[in-house]
Amino acid sequence: MMDFLNLILEPLQEVFLTFKVFLPNLLAMIVIVIVGIVLARIVRIILIKSLTAINFDSWSDRMGFTTLMRKGDLWAKPSATLGAIVFWLLVIVTLMIGLSALNIPAIGGLVEQFFGYVPRVFSAAMILIIGYVLAGFISQGVLIAAVNSGYHYSKLLAKAIRTLLMVLILAMAMEQLQIAPSIVLAAFSIIFGGIVVALSISFGVGGIDAARRMIEQETLEKGAAETKDDIEHV
Amino acid sequence: MSDFHQTGVITTLHQLGKPSLERLESELYGFSKARPVALVLPALYSEFEGPAMPGIVQELAKVKYLNEIVLVLDKGSEKDFQRVREFMSPISTEVKIIHNDGKRISEIYETFARNGFNVGERGKGRSAWLAYGYVLARGRSDVIALHDCDIVTYSRELLARLCYPVVNPNLDYVFCKGYYSRVSSKLNGRVTRLLVTPLVRALEQLIGQHDFLAFLDSFRYPLSGEFCMITDLARTNRIPWDWGLEVGSLAEVHRNYSPRRVCQVDIAANYEHKHQILSADDANKGLMKMTVDICKSIFRTLASEGVVFSDGLFKSLLVAYLRQAEDTILKYEADAAINGLKFDRHEEAMAVEAFTRAIAMATQVFMENPMATPLIPNWNRVTSAIPGIFEMLKMAVDEDNK
Repeated sequence: MMDFLNLILEPLQEVFLTFKVFLPNLLAMIVIVIVGIVLARIVRIILIKSLTAINFDSWSDRMGFTTLMRKGDLWAKPSATLGAIVFWLLVIVTLMIGLSALNIPAIGGLVEQFFGYVPRVFSAAMILIIGYVLAGFISQGVLIAAVNSGYHYSKLLAKAIRTLLMVLILAMAMEQLQIAPSIVLAAFSIIFGGIVVALSISFGVGGIDAARRMIEQETLEKGAAETKDDIEHV
Repeated sequence: MSDFHQTGVITTLHQLGKPSLERLESELYGFSKARPVALVLPALYSEFEGPAMPGIVQELAKVKYLNEIVLVLDKGSEKDFQRVREFMSPISTEVKIIHNDGKRISEIYETFARNGFNVGERGKGRSAWLAYGYVLARGRSDVIALHDCDIVTYSRELLARLCYPVVNPNLDYVFCKGYYSRVSSKLNGRVTRLLVTPLVRALEQLIGQHDFLAFLDSFRYPLSGEFCMITDLARTNRIPWDWGLEVGSLAEVHRNYSPRRVCQVDIAANYEHKHQILSADDANKGLMKMTVDICKSIFRTLASEGVVFSDGLFKSLLVAYLRQAEDTILKYEADAAINGLKFDRHEEAMAVEAFTRAIAMATQVFMENPMATPLIPNWNRVTSAIPGIFEMLKMAVDEDNK
């Protein structure tokens, strides 16, 4: 009977001992997560107040970030959205730190991978933000230049350039995030290569007559100049 | 049947005989191919529970020449918005509803506020302005017509006659205001009859011939809420958000266009809508509030055109107005008598006294702060400050209507 009871109690005792060793780690994780969430909330409040003080929302409206958000059916203020993004990032980071406090090897590896990936996410975000502003700036410049030159399809040209630049920026960001890099590279090469080939062909085929006229005119002018020279020297 | 006399500096289009509505609508249908028409309806949810809106929807369902209808719903919850969508469903023309109290449109108003645009308090002016923005953002219409949603005597002839002068490219008017008589068993339309016309004439008496006063006096019903205009006007005009909406809009039209391209049209034999209480003791509501806002709007416009107002001028104005208004009462008494209408002379005199007090209040407010302006900035300025605003507004309305 005692043997039978030992058979039941021993595993329970083992579980209890393991739990006793594990308990401080669990408590540490809970404390880290709670403190992290509180800190994340404080950071969010400070961030939103600071962004409001420097008129970040109004700046976003002018730079087109708000429009971009609305396209994604996000109808909060840009500052509140940025605050929420930072809050959730901090919560995720806190969660990861908390998980690493558990001292479980499998989770430890995951956490290490996560922190290794964070710089990539950060640089991808920077590429997207700076790229979006630059694309808008260049497209606006093209629009103004094309309108001033009297080009009929200025708006279309500006939009096409903006779209192409956005494709380029997206490809760069995805490459940075290491999301199917070979596919992204291949797709990007095909799209851009295709566009360049299409433009070359259309310009080449469409410009045959114009090029012939220009060459003929050049030759005629050269001939006439040479003849004129002869007479003058004589 | 109306007379055919042309008065004032603008063109008056009378209703002569019984013109065929079918002919008018078929011509409009043809013209609207080149000049698509948007109808803007500023509405409160309560108007959908009243007697007017069912009739308006029933009539609009028969109209074929409209390109789009933009209804701005004010004071309505999410459920009310859904009910209104259902309510408007018999209309075959594309109807877009701007839900003023919705999450997305509220954020659009927030965007205006944080970029330094004061778009005023909720009301017909603000709603109409936002609807113009949406029509401009879509870029599908060249003409905008607007009428109230509390017209109990609505018929589609009203809309056809209102649109015709602007939609017909041969006439080529840029702005057309509707006019009508306001008669039930008695004469209605007290603010126009006993305030605006006598006030404008008193001002003319005191400051002499003035283009804007002549322009305003040319309108048979300057406070009518029904008008039609080209979309360019919606882009450049500033709209007052208070009760000075009608007079302020006319001032902007006068400022930007020649009176030769402005007309008024007889749109209905009779017109009945929600009546405002006089509220003689409280200048913050009813007809008194309306009167103060209208007077301020007229004073502001005249001041902006170089008229110098002084205490003496305002004192004389009160006396001159009172005399003009008393004479007007006598004219309308005779008019009512010959037409067999009830006419309470005492009530009319009481209204004039209340209006006189309101003018005095308006003069005081104007003298204290002549720069205070309830004008909502025009869309050209808004798009210059917030380049993506049209796109945002379009997305907000389209998402709400999905």
